[in-house]
Parts: sequence; C-alpha cells; structure tokens
Amino acid sequence: MHADFFIIVVYLALMFGAGIFFSRNIKNTADYFLAARSAPWFWIMGAVWATNIGFLHGYLAHGGAAYEWGLIQANFEWFQGPFGYVLTGIFFIAFYWRAGIYTVPQFLEKRYGTGIRTIYSLAWLIIFVVTIAAELYLGGMFLKNFLHIPFWPTVFVLTGVVGTYTLLGGLGAAIMMEFVQFVIMMLGTMPLLFILLHLVGGFGGIKNILISQWGVSAQYFTVLPDIHHPYGPGPWIILGQCMVVTIGWCAGHQSMVQRNLGARSLYDSKLGYVVAAIPKTLGAFLYVVPMIAAPIIFARYGIFVEKADAAYGKLILNLLPTGMLGLFIAGLLSAGLSSIGSVLNSSSTMLIKDIYEKFLAKRKSDHHYFIAGRVATFAVIVTSLLLVPVVLKVPLIMWLEQTLLAMALGPFMGVLVLAIFWRRANTPGSLVGFITGAVFAITLQQGFGVKIFFQISWWSFVVTLLVTIFVSLLTKPPKKEKVEGITWESDFESMVGAIVEERAETKAMRVTEMAPRKITRPPWYLNLKYWATAILLVQVLLLFFFG
Amino acid sequence: MRKAILLLVALGIFVLVQNSLTQEKFIDVRQEMANKLTAVKSAVAKNDWATALENFARAKEIWQGEVKPMITEGVKTNEQFREYFKRMAEIEENLNSLAQILEGKNTEGIESKANAVIWGISHHPRGFDLPKPRYSAWDWVFALGIGLGFCIFATVFGLHLRKSYYRRYKKIQIMN
Repeated sequence: MHADFFIIVVYLALMFGAGIFFSRNIKNTADYFLAARSAPWFWIMGAVWATNIGFLHGYLAHGGAAYEWGLIQANFEWFQGPFGYVLTGIFFIAFYWRAGIYTVPQFLEKRYGTGIRTIYSLAWLIIFVVTIAAELYLGGMFLKNFLHIPFWPTVFVLTGVVGTYTLLGGLGAAIMMEFVQFVIMMLGTMPLLFILLHLVGGFGGIKNILISQWGVSAQYFTVLPDIHHPYGPGPWIILGQCMVVTIGWCAGHQSMVQRNLGARSLYDSKLGYVVAAIPKTLGAFLYVVPMIAAPIIFARYGIFVEKADAAYGKLILNLLPTGMLGLFIAGLLSAGLSSIGSVLNSSSTMLIKDIYEKFLAKRKSDHHYFIAGRVATFAVIVTSLLLVPVVLKVPLIMWLEQTLLAMALGPFMGVLVLAIFWRRANTPGSLVGFITGAVFAITLQQGFGVKIFFQISWWSFVVTLLVTIFVSLLTKPPKKEKVEGITWESDFESMVGAIVEERAETKAMRVTEMAPRKITRPPWYLNLKYWATAILLVQVLLLFFFG
Repeated sequence: MRKAILLLVALGIFVLVQNSLTQEKFIDVRQEMANKLTAVKSAVAKNDWATALENFARAKEIWQGEVKPMITEGVKTNEQFREYFKRMAEIEENLNSLAQILEGKNTEGIESKANAVIWGISHHPRGFDLPKPRYSAWDWVFALGIGLGFCIFATVFGLHLRKSYYRRYKKIQIMN
C-alpha cells in the first residue's frame, strides 16, 4: 500500500510541476486557447482520446454503466470510433479549421449569426459545469475508497492539481499532459483485463457463469439488444447514438474540437482524430469487458459494492497487487485529470470568446482576454465544486450526463448538418429549428416521460432538421459570400477542382517536357484513407464477434 | 431583494447537502457491515473465534439497527431501495446460517455465507433482471428501415455530389 501511495503522490507532484513548467511559454490568447497551433497528429490522437476518456466517459461511469447493463455499453466505444471520430475527422474538421475559429459556436455564428452561437454556448457551458462536477464526484469517491480519507478533501486536492496546470498552461499544457496521460492510461490499466479473464476463464467463462449458473439474461451480453430494452434498444442505438449522439459529441464538443484546432496542420488534425478511434475501440476492453466479469468477482470474494459507479474502483482495489495498483491509479487519475482539464479549458474558452468578448467587454486588449481566461477557469472550478452535492444524489452518473446530452445534441446535429451540407439553410431557419428541437426534446423527456435518451436525441434531431428546412425555405436564402468556403458543396468543388487542375497542370508539363511539380504527400502509413478503412473493418469484426 | 435571493440560495444548498448526507449514510453503514463480515472471515482464518463472534455480533447489530430500518423506510419513497428490500429475507437467512456455523465453530461454509451476505447488501446490476431477448417484428422493421434508408440516403447524396461536380467541371475535362 505504501508503494502505491508513493507512486500516486509522485505522479500528482509531476503533473503539478509539469503544468507550471509548460506555462512559461504562454504569452497570448492564441497560445492559451489554441496551443499556438503547433501540435503534431500523434499528440492530437492522445489528447483527443484522453479528453474523451475520464472518470465520467470511461473507467468509472462507463465502467459503472457496463456493470449495470452489460456489453451494451461497448457501443459507446465501438460505434463512437467509426461514426464519431472517423466521420468527424473526414467530414467536419476541415470546415472548422478553414473558418479560423476558436470555438464551435464561433463557426455557427459565421454560418448562422449571433443568436444560435449564444444559445449553443450557454447550453454547452451548463453541460460542461455538470460534467466537471460529475468527474470530481467520481474521482473523490474513488480516492475516498482507496485512501480512506473523507470525500471533500480528496475533491479539493484533485481540483487543485488539475486547476493549476489548466489555469496556468492553457491548451498547450493540457495537450502535452494529455498525451503523457494517454500513455500512462494505456500501460497502467490494460493488465486488469488479463488478470480478470484469467480468474474467470475468459470471455466464454464469464458467459458460462452468468447465463448458465446465475440465470442472467443473454441481453446482458448483447451489443444491440431488442426494442424493449430499458437502457438502449438496438434500433435506437443505431439511429440515436450512431447517427446523432456520437457524431454530435465528436463534432460539437468544444473540448474535442479544440484539441484538433491546436494541430500544426489540417492534415495532422484530421489524422489525429481518425487514428484516435483505435484507442477508443480498445476502451471497451479497458472498462466494459472487465466490468461484466466484476459481479462474479464481487460475489466470489465477498467484495461490497455500494453502487454501480463505485464498482470499477472496488474491483481494482481488491484485485491488483501492490505496485501495479499504484500504477493503475496513476493511469486512472490521468484519465480523470485530462478530462477535467480539457473541459475546464474549453469552458473558459467559450465563456471568454462567446460570452465575455461578445457581450461584456468588446475590443479589449489581447492581454485583457488572456487574464480573463484564467479568471473564467477559476470561476468554472468554483461553480462545479458547488454542484458536486447535486451529483452525489444521482444513482447512475451516466444517466444524468446522457439526459443532458440527449437534449442538446439532437438540435445541434440538426443545425450543424444543414450548416455544412445545405447552402440554403439560413439564420431564421436554424434559430427556430434549434429552439423547437430543444423544446421538443425537453417535452419528450419531462412531459411524456421518455427515458431512452437515444430516442430523444433522434427525434429532436429529426424535428430540428424538418423545422430548419421548412423555415429556411419560407425565408430569404443566405448570401453566397456568407456560405462560401464553409459548406460541403463548395468544399467538395474546391477539393475535386484542385485534383482536376493538378492533373491538367501535370499533363501540360509533360507535353512541354518540363519536370512535373513535386507534390508532397504523406507516406502510406500516414494515409488517412487506409487508417479509416482499417478502423471500419475492425469495428465490423468486433460487432460480428460480440454482437 | 438581494438578501432574499441569497437566503434562497443558502436554503437550496442546505437541502442538497442534507439529501446527499442521507445517501452517504446508507453507503457508509453497509460498508461498515461488510467490513465486519470481512473481519469475521479473517479472524476465522486465524482461528480467533472470539474476535470472529464479536465482529459478527457487530455486523448483525448494524443490520438490525441501521441497514434494515433504512431499507424498510427508504423503499416507501425511493425506488433505489427496492432491490435491497427484495433481498432482505435472503440476507437474514444467510446471517442466521452464518450465526449457526460460527456457534458450532465450524470453518466449513463461513466464507461462502459471509460472502453471500456481503453480496446481498451490495448493489446488483439491473441488467440481471432483464427478460430474455424478444426480437419482435418491430426490430426487423426498424433494421430494414434503417438499412434501406441509409442506402437511399447514400445514393441520393452521392448523386447530388456527382451533379455538383459536373456542374463545375465539364465531363470532357475529366476524360482528358
């Protein structure tokens, strides 16, 4: 135990020190919010995954939901890989990049105007503050169980460490720390799967014990369950999760997008996002499969588990040997700290760029906004801490988070898809569509008691699409110069155009016997198409094997 | 007005903290009971029957005095207590069996009974209570609908892109 404790203290001290070290190069808002656009693709890959996977989206809450509902939870990893990461990397990132923005709401403003930017920013700020509170709660609960110290001091220590390096170092520090944390997470947490599978006799052994001996339903082992499933019916997983939630999350979550905007080139940004689908897929083996085996271990060894969200922590505390446990907890803390750090950084970016700079303090100096960014980070931390007691009441944290996302992601995806793929979509259409979609989602949940969040996100997405199209057709189309460069059609034309022109140029050069212009292409192993195809194939195989 | 708002905020925080403390209390008492039962197992392994009996008595006391009343009261207002309420008889039966084995100073079966009680007061996955898969006609309608819908969407979208491509670049340019 002392060795474990030592590893954790050293890890936290290193994180704290590294944050202060990286903060020395931060001089302006571009450095603070976009890491001076300097990150290579592999940093982006690590940072995107580490941002996505934390206490909440990953080990503790996803692990908790896997304990509660079974293999269905693997959908969040296996569908988000190809649908979320790959499609966003290929289709959406280029538009954000070219628009030269800091935040996703800024893109919406360029396309639709100020109204939708403000509504969107406020909605995400609420989600972010709740997310940080949930992460702090999960981390605090876990460390309380491990260190046997009271809950609140633990939460304050976590807040202190992550707050320091995010507050001082901005996105640059966050991305660098996240890459390091990505490596620690992978190496530190993977051994658990092998230890567990050894104890229960492999995946077949888990199935045999739970289904044959305990009489558990086969639905516990299904990736796409039947339509009556209370948590995620198969059809709604495909419609709501694959088509709306995962893409909306990857293309609309400021933290995820902001990491890509910090890349040194558009290609690095795209490749980083696409390749991040690989660790995302592996995530199911880090915290979903182990949690399906967890009930067997708990019952066999008499390990008390108070609620689903605590199950993952209880499993590792009772199963891993000294030394390995310390490394594992360092990996777990990496996950939590990177997620909290990224959401903190993104919250302050949105608060300053979308609210403060826009409405409260226009045309101030860059230094003014830089300082305001740090104040905003501190304000978000304090607000999240105040929300922790609310989160403490929720039986399954995943439920809270998904409910909030279901209400926001459907309407967002509706307006975003039309913003990029339909030139005719305009400001009044998007505004009416977004508000109608959001109100519809709230009515479905609060008024009609719909509990399946994938269903809510799908229908609110459809309603937003239809209303936006209808109102846009009734009102004036947007001016051509407003949509030029930030809609898919124009992007497609310019992309294909570049190829045609390049071919024509090369042919003309050959005719005149001039040396053809050398075009720099990435090596084959960094080719986006190969990676995307390989990832899609792996997902199909996984679904075939486990589905 | 400002004072009234501050008072409301303070009241809200107080209520939230009170509620969260109740939740924590239910977790803490069950954890303590589980710790005592684990101590029973350790003591029996060391052949320390006096400590084992002492810890068992304390575990039973926690069950009777704190955990059981919280479950029977809690189930009236909160669905979260339902699973424990359903398992109450099973937990008591295992506790009684454990008491008998301990009195007889028989090491056989102590670990399994203590583990069964700990597992009984633990939270069980809700997925365990699901019925067997019932794939109905609706599942197939959805699956076909989604599959066909996706194919139609891909075709229409592909044709749209093709049209926009040829609108700008004449076919002849590409042929050359």
